[in-house]
This record gives sequence, structure tokens and C-alpha cells, in this order.
Amino acid sequence: MTDYAIELKGVCKSYPFFDLHHIDLRLQRGTIMGLIGPNGAGKSTTIRILMGLVHQDSGEVSVLGHRMPYDQVAAKWDIGFASEDMRLYDSMTLGWHIRFMKSIYASWDDAYAQLLLKRFGLNAEQKVKGLSHGQRVKAALLLVFARRPKLLVLDEPTTGLDPVARHEILRELTAVMVEDGRSILFSSHNTQDVEQISDQITFIDRGRIIDSMDKEIYLDRWRRLRLEVPDGVALPELPGVIGVQKAGRLAVAIANAFDPHLPSAYESSGARVRAVENMTLEEIFVANVEHSREEVKA
Amino acid sequence: MRTNVMLQLILKDWRLQRRMIVLTIVAGVAALAMLLMGGQTPVVVGTVFYFVSMVFCACLLPMQNIVNERKKQTLSFVMSLPVASAQYGAAKLLSTVGLFLIPWLSLLCAALYMILVRHSLPNGAIPVGLVIMNFPLIGFCLITGTALVAESEGWGTAAMAVVNSSYWLVWYLLVSHIPSLHETWSGPIAVWTPAVFKVLTVEFAIIVLTLGVTLYLQSRKRDFI
Repeated sequence: MTDYAIELKGVCKSYPFFDLHHIDLRLQRGTIMGLIGPNGAGKSTTIRILMGLVHQDSGEVSVLGHRMPYDQVAAKWDIGFASEDMRLYDSMTLGWHIRFMKSIYASWDDAYAQLLLKRFGLNAEQKVKGLSHGQRVKAALLLVFARRPKLLVLDEPTTGLDPVARHEILRELTAVMVEDGRSILFSSHNTQDVEQISDQITFIDRGRIIDSMDKEIYLDRWRRLRLEVPDGVALPELPGVIGVQKAGRLAVAIANAFDPHLPSAYESSGARVRAVENMTLEEIFVANVEHSREEVKA
Repeated sequence: MRTNVMLQLILKDWRLQRRMIVLTIVAGVAALAMLLMGGQTPVVVGTVFYFVSMVFCACLLPMQNIVNERKKQTLSFVMSLPVASAQYGAAKLLSTVGLFLIPWLSLLCAALYMILVRHSLPNGAIPVGLVIMNFPLIGFCLITGTALVAESEGWGTAAMAVVNSSYWLVWYLLVSHIPSLHETWSGPIAVWTPAVFKVLTVEFAIIVLTLGVTLYLQSRKRDFI
């Protein structure tokens, strides 16, 4: 059995106005990966490919040891998938949907479904058309969670939700992970959500994976250095620094491979280091995307 | 043990669309009941409404059962289940055709009952009636195939418009090229001429071909959502 819940190797897909370029992605079993990217970056296409809904032009896709899209039926028994654009049948009740899922999945956990109904404040007898957006998202996730799948693939599940609903869903996702061996791939452009629950982070932009690694390493490696640069002093180009923005005597250097010796290197060039700051995931994301776009242009 | 997901998808569609099927049967039976009143006007009005109820179902069912699944974004939910796109297509075709056959066969039997038992129309009307009854079935198959393969409301509506405006044209072409088709309709006995058999065979072939091509094209799709 492979150690990876998801493995994509050199996956390419071309559309008339969008290309997915050589996507390499690995999600280790028992971990949560946040897939972050701006709108139109290729998150949904990547997820559709790994669900077997879109066939890749080239490259290999393996999900829970199954080759996709060929073994998608076998793989989907153990995958719980929900996306932001997924809707339930408006004219039917949530209870009807629960009975429908129960008729398909032997693994359906009725007690857990009842618990989730209470936790999410949902009424099984209510028709879907009477539910708010937040309630619809929770209902869709209830139908996914209560199946107890080995892998959860969630495409922007928290988009458009209020902070309370987002918190409830993220708490439930964390609870799901308590069970051994479960893995989650979670796409979003909300870096706060991803930062809160993910073990691994992958950035995607314009159809390319621009970075993928452990969240803690990520947060540890990125730093912002606030510098004071006296007249006549030229800042040196230092390894690990991806960009420097200057405004008068002040400069801000962004490092994506921070080295503790970096401040002293600037100091010895004549500049004064006023602060070394940690960056939020959102700041890292924006800096990373901008850097990657500049590299592609060059 | 793993459930037969295709069967569950078919049952789901039946649960979702059963109201329309019941309404079609009620409307068709009500139209046939007008024939019992006797006289030319009730017979003409009853026959037209009977045909309209079938045409209505032939248009609405594929739109509700196939196009709406994509339009209302419930397709992602269905495709998250352990089913491949070819299986989804087959299940959708089976459920839609099965659903349509319920009112079609029920109303066909009801019409035969009205002719053979209640003598509302002469027995000679049976062969030509069968030829005409196949029109909405063929139209339904064409609209269903287009809706499933093209995956768009626009193409579904276009197919519906073409099919609906073709019924009278096809009937006109048939009676002008095969006069024997309607010459014996007012007779006391059903006359099964070679021309009737030929037309019924062609109709059957169109149905089989349409459904076969639909299944084939569906199975070759690479991008589903």
C-alpha cells in the first residue's frame, strides 16, 4: 500500500484559455493539505482530475492507490467529495438525502449523522430550498462526513460562509482527523482557514504548483526584514531573499529561506535592521504568487 | 457488500419525477374520457389533448431529469458517488426512458381499450394510431439524447423546438407519400398493410439508433463536469 492518499505526477491538462502545467502533488495519508490559489489558479481543475471527473491529457494520478480516472468507481467508495458549487435537490428534504446516501454506503454512520444534525443546527425534515447558504453547505458536508470516508476532498467548502459557520465546519474537519488514517485535501483562497487546520500547504497559481511543503516549515522560512538604508549604501543581493522594496531610506526585504545570519549580513553592508517579522500565510501567499509570476515573466 | 449505485440513481430519479408521470397519465386519461362524450368535437379535442399530454411529457421529462441536474448543480453531488460518467449516462438514460414508458404504455393501453372495448373510435384507427403514438416516443428519444450528450439547456431547448415543429410535418410527409396509411383508418377492422409495418420498423430503428448513439457518445466523454 502506498504512503500517499493522493499522488499526481506530471499532470497536464489543456483548455482553450487555460493550461495546467506538470502538476506534481503528494498528500501523505493521515494529513491535511491546504491547496491555496487565487481564483482561476487551477485548484478546481486539479481536484476534478483527481476525482476522475476530468481526464488529464498526460501524467499519472493515483488516489488511495487507485489509478485515475480508470479506477474512479473503486476510489470513490472511500472518497468524500464536496465543492462550493455542489447543490442538493431543492425539492427534497435533508432526511431524503440522508436516506439516499444510506442506501448506497454501508459505512454510513447514523449516530454520527444525528450528532452532526444537532451540532450544525439542521432539521432533517426541512426541504433543501428552505435552507440558507450556510445550512446547505453544512448539509452537504454532513452527507460527506457521515459516510466516514478515508479521504476528504473539499473544494472551497467555506466560501461565502459567516465566521461562525466557518468555525463549526473547521472544528468538525479537525474532529474527523482524530480518526486514524484519514486524509484531507482542502482547497481555498481563504488562507486563514487553511492556516488553522492544515499540516501541509500547496500554492498554485496560473496552472502551476509554485510551492508545496509542511506548514510549520513554511511559516518558519518566510520572514520580513524592515531595513533602514543610509544614503550611499547599496543593499547586497543575498541568498534566500526574493525581493526588496525601497521607499526613501526605508526598505523591506522578503526572505523565503530565512537564515539567522541574514540580519547581520545586511548590517555589515551598512544597513540597519529595524525589525525581523514573521509573516502570515496570506502575506506569504501573496509574496509567493508575485515572485512566481515575475519568475515566469523573466 | 457494495450497493448497485446505478440502480439507486435510477430509483432516485423515479422518486424525483413521479409527480410529472402521474400528471401526464391523469391528463391523457382525461383527454381519452372526452371521447366517451361522442360527437366530432369531443373526439377531435380529446385526441389532440391526448397527443399534447404525451408531447408535454416528452419535452419536460428530459429537461427536468437531465438538463436540470446540470443547471441546478446537483450533478457534482451525483458524480461524487462511486459512479463513472459512462455509468451515470447509462443510469440516466434508463431512468428517463423508463419513466417515459410508464405514461406512454399506460396511455397506449388506455387508447386501445377505448377503441376495442368502448368503441370510441373504429378498429381501423389502431395501425395508424400506433404509428402516431411512436412520434412522441421518437421525439422524446431525440430530446433526451441531445440533452444528455450536449449537456446544455440551449441544445435541449433547440432539440425540443425542432422535434415539436416536426410532428405535423412528418405526419404530412407520411400521408402524402404513403396514402394507404390513413385510407383504412375509419374501417371497422384493423388493416396491417406492409406500409404500416415498414413505417413501424423505421420508427423502431430510429429509437434504437438514437439511444445507441447517445450511450456511445456518453461513454467517450473525457471531461464530465
